[in-house]
Amino acid sequence: MIDVASLPVPLPVIALAVAVAAPAIGAVVLRFTERLLDPRMVAAGAIVTSLAASVVAAAWWHLGDATPARCGPRLVGGDLVLVDGLTSLLLPYVAIVDLAIVLVAPRRAFASAGVRRLLIGASVTFATLGTAHPIALAVLWGVSIVSTTMTLRSTVEGRSTARVYAVTMTIAFVCLVAGIVLLVADPPWQAGSGTIGAAGGWLVALAVMIRKGLVPFHSWYPALFSGGALATALVVTMPQIASYTAARLLVGHADGVPVELIVLANLALVTAVYGAALAVVQRSVRRLLGMLAMSQSAMVFAGLAGTVPTELCGALAVWVSSGLALTGIGLVVWSLESRGGAISIDTLQGRCADAPALAAFFLLFGLATLGFPGTLSFVADDLLISGALDDQVHAGLLVIAATVFAGIAVMRGWFRIFGGPVTIDAPRHEILRRERLAFSMLLVILFGLGMWPGPFVTSLERVATSLLASRQHAATSPVPIHVSSTGVSGVIP
Amino acid sequence: MISLNALIRDPFSALVAWQVIAPPAALVAIGLPALVGRPLRERETTRIVAVAFASGFIAALVTLATLASQGFTAHVVHLGTLFHVGHHEASIELVADALSVPYVCFSTGLCALVNAFAGKYLHREPGFTRFFALLALFGTGMNLMVLAGSIDVLFAGWECLGISSALLIGFFHERRNAVDAAVRAFITYRVCDVGLLTASVVLHRATDTGDFAAAFAGTWPHAVCTLPPATAPVVGLLLILAALGKSAQVPFSGWLPRAMEGPTPSSAIFYGALSIHAGAYVLLRCGSVLDAAPIAAWLLVVIGAGTALHAATVGSVQTDLKSMLAYASMTQAGIILAEIGLGFRVLPLVHVVSHAILRSLQILRSPSAMHDRHELAAALGGPPGQSSWSLLRLIPPSISRHLYHVALERGFEETIVSRLVVQPLLRSLAAADAFEQRWVAILGGASRAAVASRDPRPANGGDAP
Repeated sequence: MIDVASLPVPLPVIALAVAVAAPAIGAVVLRFTERLLDPRMVAAGAIVTSLAASVVAAAWWHLGDATPARCGPRLVGGDLVLVDGLTSLLLPYVAIVDLAIVLVAPRRAFASAGVRRLLIGASVTFATLGTAHPIALAVLWGVSIVSTTMTLRSTVEGRSTARVYAVTMTIAFVCLVAGIVLLVADPPWQAGSGTIGAAGGWLVALAVMIRKGLVPFHSWYPALFSGGALATALVVTMPQIASYTAARLLVGHADGVPVELIVLANLALVTAVYGAALAVVQRSVRRLLGMLAMSQSAMVFAGLAGTVPTELCGALAVWVSSGLALTGIGLVVWSLESRGGAISIDTLQGRCADAPALAAFFLLFGLATLGFPGTLSFVADDLLISGALDDQVHAGLLVIAATVFAGIAVMRGWFRIFGGPVTIDAPRHEILRRERLAFSMLLVILFGLGMWPGPFVTSLERVATSLLASRQHAATSPVPIHVSSTGVSGVIP
Repeated sequence: MISLNALIRDPFSALVAWQVIAPPAALVAIGLPALVGRPLRERETTRIVAVAFASGFIAALVTLATLASQGFTAHVVHLGTLFHVGHHEASIELVADALSVPYVCFSTGLCALVNAFAGKYLHREPGFTRFFALLALFGTGMNLMVLAGSIDVLFAGWECLGISSALLIGFFHERRNAVDAAVRAFITYRVCDVGLLTASVVLHRATDTGDFAAAFAGTWPHAVCTLPPATAPVVGLLLILAALGKSAQVPFSGWLPRAMEGPTPSSAIFYGALSIHAGAYVLLRCGSVLDAAPIAAWLLVVIGAGTALHAATVGSVQTDLKSMLAYASMTQAGIILAEIGLGFRVLPLVHVVSHAILRSLQILRSPSAMHDRHELAAALGGPPGQSSWSLLRLIPPSISRHLYHVALERGFEETIVSRLVVQPLLRSLAAADAFEQRWVAILGGASRAAVASRDPRPANGGDAP
């Protein structure tokens, strides 16, 4: 047996390295063996490897003593490689989303370079979720923005979306880099820090606001869903890298919650209600999906600034539940589009007769989005609303309003797509085995964790407590900055 | 999770627990095979659901007998804790008392009867399995709501009722009217659910738990509200909001006549018997809150009486049987809510049970009654009998004409709600969406002229969602 304690690098860091490397290696293998090997098998193998490695990292943290694993140089409290509660929660989640996409993607998506880009994107996302180092975060932001823009530009219909995405993300990236420079120069949680550090915090907040799609910088979000490939939109938005960045960079302040985070949380509440309300009047199912994703991801952020564990637990649970459920809906829509073209919800489409199994899966994912009892979103909404009301009453009421609108939008969408007289004069499209496998996998997680949420919520509580503790520590224990051989560095709390 | 050891040690708790376990077990048993592409045959499907409801009914009867022998002392059954974070705990609490156990006997028995009826009525219908899955989901929600010992469990049951109701209204999904009616019903439910959700949160804040035992002292119907004086009216008003949606009271009544688009068995059990009285049940369960909040109680009386008057007037001019029955249900539901507002507790419960049994029988009988009437008319060579004398004939003709016009327009209720609330909201949202799309198009490189020439229609095509 290998003695885990004797390894030169902590086990979770090795697991993270495997999770990052597997998709990248898969992309390289595909580049040279496209005609020899089944691209879907290669991609699925790479993502399953990442998933297994992620589960190892998660098990190490959740079953162990909740000590973060670190490696590499640090800068203003951020490790180059960090596997803590947040990372160990998000790595398996992202791997599951990617695996579902690979399983459901129609065959023509594997006939292009799209699958290689998807694998590279997954690798970049895993790497981002495994670092708290400001410079590494900025570099990985840049790589993912360039990669996504190139993917969007690869199709004629995606060019205008690529332009929208590139313009907004470039502004976000510039803000992030400028903010990080100012934060490094004058960390705002240091005693005696001045306006430079504060400005840095606000610039990072602005970057997060844009990348997160918070009102008034949200227009790119539904545009990405309606103009680009659905897989690209899901891969870019579901990990919620902006929330992760905020959790890593916007820490510390007198009361344990940075002012920037509070402002962002309030904007997120407005976005959650606004996005869900606009989802009710959409005519295209893709824009409906975009608005819902925008609203749900904003709800995560609304809880992330919480000061009580319940609210943070709710935010993390919404992160996972809404991500998996919306991925499911998105993939069902993708499957439908691959069978019958773009779907309008301006009128009733009558697709139930054409694809009854997909109708059932869409409905179940819809229920898992709108907080139906027995699903993870019921638990998530309960935690988020209770926590938000413990913290601030208006937050709880806005979250309730957002869930009401989102529920209406989802069910209206379902009835519009699947209800009505049959419009497609074609033989019934049976669901494919790999599609059923992907949808079942997502549903088992969503309903399984909804029926038996105890252990998962306990894990979330540990993550939430560690996040709150790191904030409190940063606020009460100023971190001395010193220059080491690897650059400017701070001592992690 | 559910504590099996506790159930084994306490047979009474096991009996109560079985009533909330049996219907979801049936749902899983018929739903999973359908989801993996191998639906069960009709006979197997109906048998599974029948066994679930029949066994639940027997368990409920035994519970009732046990409870009666103990003088209807309330029993709280703690099934387990789903999760807890800090002081927030989600536990599964059920209560067996003089309200819940008779009600669950009646509701489970009715579900079992409708199951037997629907097995024949929907024979070879394409959505056969779907209907029974939704019936099992409805039974799950009903039993959870009735036996709930905490507002969290009640809310879970309430949500199951709402979604199963909407999906059964849209059961014939290829019919445009059925789908529109289902969406309308779901929107109404969802808007009114805000009341129950917020009431749940307010209760949690006031008592640190959602358990009814912490909010009300004593046993039903003599329970006393222990909430702070400032909290009781808030909770009361929020519960009334929730009840108005499910019980189709003014101004949320427009969905009920349209809900008859669903199959007859579901119409009978939802809109004649159980779902329409869900609001009344919640208000009966939390009746002591209304005792402590006279403003809320009087508001309920006004709304209930107003709805009864409205529905009786509108119902008198309906030309199809199902609509007449829908308005008759609405009338009785309004009277029941007014009784609750006036402080009665046992009377509304008796009223609910008797009305539900009569109305579900009428709705189940309605298709064959129409058939019989047509046959009779054919045999007699004209419509059988004359219309009987009515109190309405006492109304002077000039007033009667106005009333007729108002009744035909359904009291202008929907027009008012649409003009004052729905259309302005939809127009604002559509305008915001159109602005965003133009802005994104410009950012994406489209010329202003191209953007200006885009489809100017509002985003929902101009109709209500």
